[in-house]
Amino acid sequence: MKRVHRRHSQSCSICCIVPPHILNALARSGTEAERVLALETLAHSARLRGQREILGAFAVNTPAGQKRRTVYTERNGTTLPGKLVRGEGDPKVKDISVNEAYDSSGVVYDFFQKVFARNSVDDRGLRLDSSVHYGRRFDNAFWNGSQMVYGDGDGVIFQRFTKCLDVIGHELTHGVTQYEAALNYQDQPGALNESMSDVFGILVKQWKLKQTAAKADWLIGAGLLAKGVSGVALRSMKAPGTAYDDPRLGKDPQPAHMEDCYKGYDDNGGVHINSGIPNRAFYLTADAIGGNAWEAPGRIWYSALCHNLRPSSKFLDAANATVMIAGNLYGAGSRQQKAVQSAWKTVGVLK
Amino acid sequence: MRITFSRSGGVAGVRLRTTVSEDDLSAPHAAKLRRLVKAAECFRLPQQLAADPKQPDRFQYELTLEDGGQRHAIIIDEEAATPALLKLLEWLTGIARAG
Repeated sequence: MKRVHRRHSQSCSICCIVPPHILNALARSGTEAERVLALETLAHSARLRGQREILGAFAVNTPAGQKRRTVYTERNGTTLPGKLVRGEGDPKVKDISVNEAYDSSGVVYDFFQKVFARNSVDDRGLRLDSSVHYGRRFDNAFWNGSQMVYGDGDGVIFQRFTKCLDVIGHELTHGVTQYEAALNYQDQPGALNESMSDVFGILVKQWKLKQTAAKADWLIGAGLLAKGVSGVALRSMKAPGTAYDDPRLGKDPQPAHMEDCYKGYDDNGGVHINSGIPNRAFYLTADAIGGNAWEAPGRIWYSALCHNLRPSSKFLDAANATVMIAGNLYGAGSRQQKAVQSAWKTVGVLK
Repeated sequence: MRITFSRSGGVAGVRLRTTVSEDDLSAPHAAKLRRLVKAAECFRLPQQLAADPKQPDRFQYELTLEDGGQRHAIIIDEEAATPALLKLLEWLTGIARAG
């Protein structure tokens, strides 16, 4: 599929003591230590100035389709990124979280590259940085705008957050969304942002396992809940609201239909709650089309994310966009378009 | 002093809540709570500490503090919290987890 690229400027406007072209050269051909330091400085400067051009400028020097992963350990601290423990091509280490972050981010890279011809999160070869062991008993994982961060979980309710490939896919997709539709992280646009992360997170898992839509479990974070918790996962895309029901966790709050849409203030207006609605629309589409969900359904959703959705897009915009794209790709009135249309109707977004 | 604490969001989207009353705490815990609240200057914080842009999957907190005649409610994005406020939030998270 040919993508229309919305590109950032290629010019390098970072001012620091070591000129960027020297850092770029070091990053390209210096010793390993120089390379790491140069990359850190380039990335750090970009972060400080809130600019991403520098990363793009470096990516020009990266052969297409080459993944670069770096894993850091926080050793229970919170000052990112922490201590470098494994770079691209380095052998396995003893720390299981480090290896999981390394391996799974590699699978996510391969998925986007092979299925959508996308070169990393920014489509320009952005280095995939992960920091593990963030904080103490930290029961979360997040994307901070430039890297992934994983906690160890509290051990009582959650296990380590690097455990699930779909969760790692979820985090990296937040990066993709940031560079594409840039959906606002609030209310319906925020719930769409969350849903995109669940959709591509689950597709990474199904692709890796070579599972068809019918065979897949459609569970986000299966195996992440600690022993003794009454639940199977964090979310169910097939049956939102049924992933857990536990005295400590409460009941899975996800709605499966617009009628039950959460309208409160928590969770940025329910971004992890109302994502159940578009999640189910994707599941229903994949179920109706059949076969591998990363093929037609994934292609339709990916195209919407990259070309049609905007920061303020709502569920209805996503529904209209995916119906239109399905028509463009597979024909008006095609089986695929009917599947998309019917899915959004079932969840109450389309009339 | 009484604090109503709620945490929402995170990749798991699970809500955590508790209410902590100074009267129900042991003397050292009550003293710790006062110290943390004082250090975070809670009563001087605006009603909303919002991050811009918001980082995906971060926690959102809601605190309501009542002390003497004062009452103050704050909504906090984790990534916008001050280090002193994070210490209070971490302590309250521990209490909420212990149930």
